[in-house]
Amino acid sequence: MASHGVPRISGSQVRSEQLRLKELQHITEYKKLVSIVNLKVAEGQYTVEVLTLTTQLLTENAEYYTIWNHRRRILEYMFTQLPNTGPTPSNSNQNIPNLITGDLRWLVSLLRQLPKCYWVWNHRLWLLQKAEALLPTTAAHDLWHGELELVGKLLSLDSRNFHAWGYRRFIVAQIVRISASGSASSQSMVEAEFDYTTKMVKANLSNFSAWHNRSKLIPHLLDHRQADKTARREMLDAEFSQIQAAINTDPFDQSIWFYHQFLMSTLSPSDTRHAAIALDFTRQDQLRYYEQEILGIKDILEDTRDCKWIYEALLQYALSYFKIGGNTQNFTTTDMQEWLSNLRELDPLRKGRWDDLERSFTF
Amino acid sequence: MSLVSGPGRGGMTDARLPRELRLFVDKHVSYIQSLDTRKDELEYWLTEHLRMNGLYWGLTALHLLGHPDALPRNEMLDFVLSCMHESGGFGAAPGHDAHMLYTVSSVQILATLDAFDDLEERVKGGRQKIGHYIASLQNPATGTFAGDEWGETDTRFLYCALNALSLLGLLGLIDVDKAVEYIQSCQNFDGGYGNRPEAESHSGQIFTCLAALSIAGRLDVVESDRLGAWLSERQLKNGGLNGRPEKKEDVCYSWWVASSLAMIGKLHWIDGDRLASFILNCQDPDGGGIADRPGDMVDVFHTFFGLAGLSLLKYPGMVEIDPVYCMPLAITKRILEKPDVNS
Ligand SMILES: [Zn+2]
Repeated sequence: MASHGVPRISGSQVRSEQLRLKELQHITEYKKLVSIVNLKVAEGQYTVEVLTLTTQLLTENAEYYTIWNHRRRILEYMFTQLPNTGPTPSNSNQNIPNLITGDLRWLVSLLRQLPKCYWVWNHRLWLLQKAEALLPTTAAHDLWHGELELVGKLLSLDSRNFHAWGYRRFIVAQIVRISASGSASSQSMVEAEFDYTTKMVKANLSNFSAWHNRSKLIPHLLDHRQADKTARREMLDAEFSQIQAAINTDPFDQSIWFYHQFLMSTLSPSDTRHAAIALDFTRQDQLRYYEQEILGIKDILEDTRDCKWIYEALLQYALSYFKIGGNTQNFTTTDMQEWLSNLRELDPLRKGRWDDLERSFTF
Repeated sequence: MSLVSGPGRGGMTDARLPRELRLFVDKHVSYIQSLDTRKDELEYWLTEHLRMNGLYWGLTALHLLGHPDALPRNEMLDFVLSCMHESGGFGAAPGHDAHMLYTVSSVQILATLDAFDDLEERVKGGRQKIGHYIASLQNPATGTFAGDEWGETDTRFLYCALNALSLLGLLGLIDVDKAVEYIQSCQNFDGGYGNRPEAESHSGQIFTCLAALSIAGRLDVVESDRLGAWLSERQLKNGGLNGRPEKKEDVCYSWWVASSLAMIGKLHWIDGDRLASFILNCQDPDGGGIADRPGDMVDVFHTFFGLAGLSLLKYPGMVEIDPVYCMPLAITKRILEKPDVNS
């Protein structure tokens, strides 16, 4: 009912009679399975047999959310009937750990086919929360840790899947929570997660999601390191020089500009939505950073005149720079008018925005 | 029941526009009418979990096309009420569990059909029941909402709650301030919103957060210049809109991005004519319906969001849509401007 990327078949290509009959047969079988499952659940038959029927049905249609609820009702009942430990190599469903790991394994294959299906991700989280409530601590912890590996694999298949990124952040938070309450040595995973984003953006500078996650991790990272003033400024400088290098490599990449804007936004103390990187900035520091970045970007114009992101960034930063009291030593309002006219030429789609921008020029 | 489009109704007549700018009103109307008759297609059965949403999409699309009576009112009403549970929640179809997603669609359909009185007649205290079901899904500590008793939380459900409760006149049942605080915690430096705190900005979530803030009367917390800039960059050279940076264009984002821009008064930051032609290009001129991209298979979801986008862009002859509720503006006005609302 909401298909993406499926080519349209023209009206003349009607199904052959044979295909039509096959489809009708399939419908009959599917409807039969649906009614058996619903009937047996309504009768309270919370058995292995019915659980298997829900597996079959959900494999065919993972979007059928009510069946996921039925499956959880059956599992919840079984959890009350079975021991919470057992010989792990056994394949039987006769204990809770096997039931849970069996379900988790099946879900991996579903997630590979349907990495954007909300219900599958939900069921997986539900299983892990059940595991923590019902299983011995170490067994439950092993399961949470195993998830990090799984989500790493899924992100290597689609590095922008926002379900997977959200899941990753959630898993990390759970592992941190668990190790804070237990005796485990690692109290924070923020260093490892930060390194992970480094690895991801090195593999592909256009990975917007990885840049996003990096922007969220930096404040935590600095707190975790108990970074002093110097360390914080070093961090900011290192990030700026890395991103300037990336801009020089490919100024047409939107993700890189996103991260540059993030760094610039941390300069002004008025931005309270996110923690600043350097906490002791004076007006002079701010102006200095603005000048450094604006001049750095202006340099790229020498070789690249047809990249709209450059003009957008220059205009945005120049306006902020004047707002905090910058002077016209390094660039003038005439420069800004020229950047704007280049922008208008390169990006006519957003004409209305450039009109509003021009109106905001109050000099 | 009128199924015929008279001249001048429901879209500009074909002769006055070049083919690529035409809206095939009659084709879309019959496409939507045909949806419930496709029982010999497996897809019909595999999408039963979307039946209630499908009805909301189809019915609202018909209103936008100027054919509000093209589906039988009583049958729709019977269907919706047959999906209501004792709890006050609605499932996607009879026998499906209750969930926020279908509850809001049900309320929207009832509102569009002007059927709140029918509801009370058939289910005593029905309005209050629905209100209490929705309110019970709010987490009092964080202000956010779960989709159902199994606990998934997402800003989508928060929007659904505010949408339905305000239509029912029952916003007083929940802690709106807490809900607003939660939305603020999902805001990113780029002005956008994710589905949870720390999540990447996403056009769909931005729509739900802005619309929820609009209903709460709190658009003042939006960083509209930054957000407007981010949203306007969603328009690609082909005129279509994508949902996140570096992604492909898709008709459904015509709605989520454009309505968000409209809510912050910056719809003029994209090229409306180019967007309209992109959507029109995604029509199936023979069978009716609109696809995600030109040449693809149509479905009711993209048909609806494509038409909603065109209505927002004031395509000639279409009925105007409310960017907050995603319903015909005349209908939300009728309901929300009633003097006894929220009493
Ligand atoms: Zn789509």
